[in-house]
Amino acid sequence: MNIKRELPTTTLSGFALSGLLVVTILNILLQNMPKEIYSAGDALLKLNETEGVANAVTTVVVFFRGFDTLGEIAVLFIASLGIGLMLHSNTHCNIKAESNFMLQTASKLLFPIILLFGIYVMVYGHLSPGGGFQGGVIIASAILLLLISDKSFEIPHSIIITLETFAGVSYVLIGLIGLLILDTFLGNFLPHNISQMGLLLSGGIIPLIYIIVGIKVGSEMSMIVQNIIKRSDDV
Amino acid sequence: MFEFFDQPEVIKVIVSAGSMFLFSIGLFGLLSYKHIIKTFMSIAIMEISIFLLFIGLTFKRDAVAPIIDSTHMDVSIMNDPIPHAMILTAIVIGMAVLALGTSFAIEYYKLTGNINIDEMNSMRY
Amino acid sequence: MTGIIILVTFIGMIIVAFAAIIQTKLADAIILFMGTGLGSVVLFFTFKAPDVALTEAVIGGGISSLIFLMALKHLGEER
Repeated sequence: MNIKRELPTTTLSGFALSGLLVVTILNILLQNMPKEIYSAGDALLKLNETEGVANAVTTVVVFFRGFDTLGEIAVLFIASLGIGLMLHSNTHCNIKAESNFMLQTASKLLFPIILLFGIYVMVYGHLSPGGGFQGGVIIASAILLLLISDKSFEIPHSIIITLETFAGVSYVLIGLIGLLILDTFLGNFLPHNISQMGLLLSGGIIPLIYIIVGIKVGSEMSMIVQNIIKRSDDV
Repeated sequence: MFEFFDQPEVIKVIVSAGSMFLFSIGLFGLLSYKHIIKTFMSIAIMEISIFLLFIGLTFKRDAVAPIIDSTHMDVSIMNDPIPHAMILTAIVIGMAVLALGTSFAIEYYKLTGNINIDEMNSMRY
Repeated sequence: MTGIIILVTFIGMIIVAFAAIIQTKLADAIILFMGTGLGSVVLFFTFKAPDVALTEAVIGGGISSLIFLMALKHLGEER
């Protein structure tokens, strides 16, 4: 839609440009700060050499800030719940046209490759850039490819329920086991040697938790995508 | 000319000025158009600009990514990993909120039939 | 060399974002919004942050654009 509201857009543009000028001048004035600023990142990188995995961002997300990741999973769960409540319907949606022959053939070839790539990014998340969130969303996009190319493909609801419940409960259970053994929630109770840094089995519970996060995020994204595509047209 | 643009002060000025420009473009789009999907798109553009500002201000030019492998074992020349972790969380949550808002908009359209945000002012349909 | 890349990508992103919110048809606006996401991935890669670039590429190009396209399908092209 191209109808504009009655707003003083020149005033707002002037406000935005003056904000730009303030930021630029502030930056030039702040160049005289002392060069040696102690930042927390250096201390965390030194701590990561003895207690973490090879990928420092994975250590910060899962081990040093594991509780925040639990809260983020809760936010994703609430968003998926809200979308499922509004858009889910049990009657089948009539997709009116059968998809192209090229799309059907190519999606059958591409689906296992994308799925394998998603699982690789998820499992090797502590050795190279990647992790649970990226791998889960890649798996969801593979399922999206099948949904738009096949008329009668649908993931049954019981599989998603099982996967999501298992992943969510086991995250909290691992945290509670750490509380029993080591007196800290989400403590690292599996053996983690510093000599094993760079191998696949290293870092204790960090790869395990990231795989659990990946399963949960992947199943939730698949459900969101399926609900939005297959919303039936009779209200 | 290439050496002038590579100083750390000039890079900081370029990053902050560019992201503020992008933020003001998103703000202009949010306040000037009435279609509800256009407002969601403007909010997404504003979020992208803040992520760029956050990571661009802690960027050192002669540092490597914070991953230890057989060729990079020195941790004193690595980047800061804390802003990366925070922005990772923020990207995922921003996408979740956008998806929920779009589903609300679709349901409201199927119920009443207007997508004009100036006419959505009744408490019951 | 790094400064020139950052400057040119920022100018490109600003032009594409401005064109994306001025369009009258919704389908063109969504495609130009995907171009903004691509520019941000290039910038994250230049700032030496590979995790953030991977996340923004997958979410901005795969899921966020899909949600807008599905909204377009259900809402129809209206003025």
